[in-house]
Amino acid sequence: MLEQELKNIWNNSSKTAQISIETDRLVMEFDTKMTNVQRKIRKRDIREISASVFGILIFSFFAYEIPFPITKFSCFLSILWFAYVIYKFRQSNKQNSSENLSLPLKEQLTHKKQLLQYQLKLLNSAGYWYVGPSFITNFIFIIGLGNPTDYNWTNQIAENLLPLTVNAKVGTIIGLGFIYLLVIWVNKIAARKEVQPILKNIELIQQQLNNSN
Amino acid sequence: MSNSQETFEQLLKENKHKIYRICRIYAATPIEPEDLFQEVVFQIWKSLPNFKGKSSIDTWVYRIALNVCLRSKMKLDKNNQKTTRFDAIHFRQATETIDPFEEEKFKYLKECIATLNESDTSIVVLYLDEISYKEIAEITGLSENHVAVKMKRIRKKLFECIAPKIN
Repeated sequence: MLEQELKNIWNNSSKTAQISIETDRLVMEFDTKMTNVQRKIRKRDIREISASVFGILIFSFFAYEIPFPITKFSCFLSILWFAYVIYKFRQSNKQNSSENLSLPLKEQLTHKKQLLQYQLKLLNSAGYWYVGPSFITNFIFIIGLGNPTDYNWTNQIAENLLPLTVNAKVGTIIGLGFIYLLVIWVNKIAARKEVQPILKNIELIQQQLNNSN
Repeated sequence: MSNSQETFEQLLKENKHKIYRICRIYAATPIEPEDLFQEVVFQIWKSLPNFKGKSSIDTWVYRIALNVCLRSKMKLDKNNQKTTRFDAIHFRQATETIDPFEEEKFKYLKECIATLNESDTSIVVLYLDEISYKEIAEITGLSENHVAVKMKRIRKKLFECIAPKIN
């Protein structure tokens, strides 16, 4: 009796609103939304990748222009690292866009959990794959800088920009160290405040689903 | 009108009310049921080309509706915080007079559903829609037996909560 009454209340609950849909117009609106979403994704990809592309260009220029062998070597390492960052971003974006909402709830939660775990790993390990290699290549780059006159090298712009004296080298390395520590910290905060709570929530729902009680 | 558009139109015609009912349960401020409804409809349209017919279309619609609603509630979808309103979907208050007692009863039902956990909520909305345990199992990914065991407990909890209110 009560069961049927509840079902009746439930069924009547959608009678409060009359929903009318103009399908032709809706499809056009959806097309526009899809185009906007794709444009946003493209912009984000370009934004993320452009920093690395800019880095590749700068370090290619340095590799060509700077005569110091160790610094030259570090430039090639930096180029490799920027290429790796592009690959890593693309891989992460591809994973994030692989959402399939027509999966059963349980599978959908498992899939989302995997994505978030990947994201969490990426953020927590930023020190190893992002900051560490970058700092090491920068360190080698700076240490490798020698005396331009020893190599008969003159380039006013590069000479003004590069830390050629010991004091300038130490100052730059310390400055970079602080910046990179800040990057690690920001990533850790994002992992703790943005990803972990959602992950916990998903795990809780998974537990609830699996429990019979 | 293309074939896929016709299928989409038919699908909405047959399912809009059940989608709306689910959205009314899951919508949480600042997201309105209407916003959630639009998002579900958008995701159905987006996923329709990938529908392979492995499950019934009803099961497929329920899966999308539940996944979108849960995603919104858990704030998994950052984009959905800024919802887009589609002008082609109109919500009007029903012309026939709404029974205030019915609305009151629905309010109680909603309050009681809110006392359930997320997992139980997703099962109970399907149960109230008179979906068989077999289909609930297909929608949630649980076994039929597991659904039955869970439903026994959920039903008891729901009845205990609502009976004193509606009697």
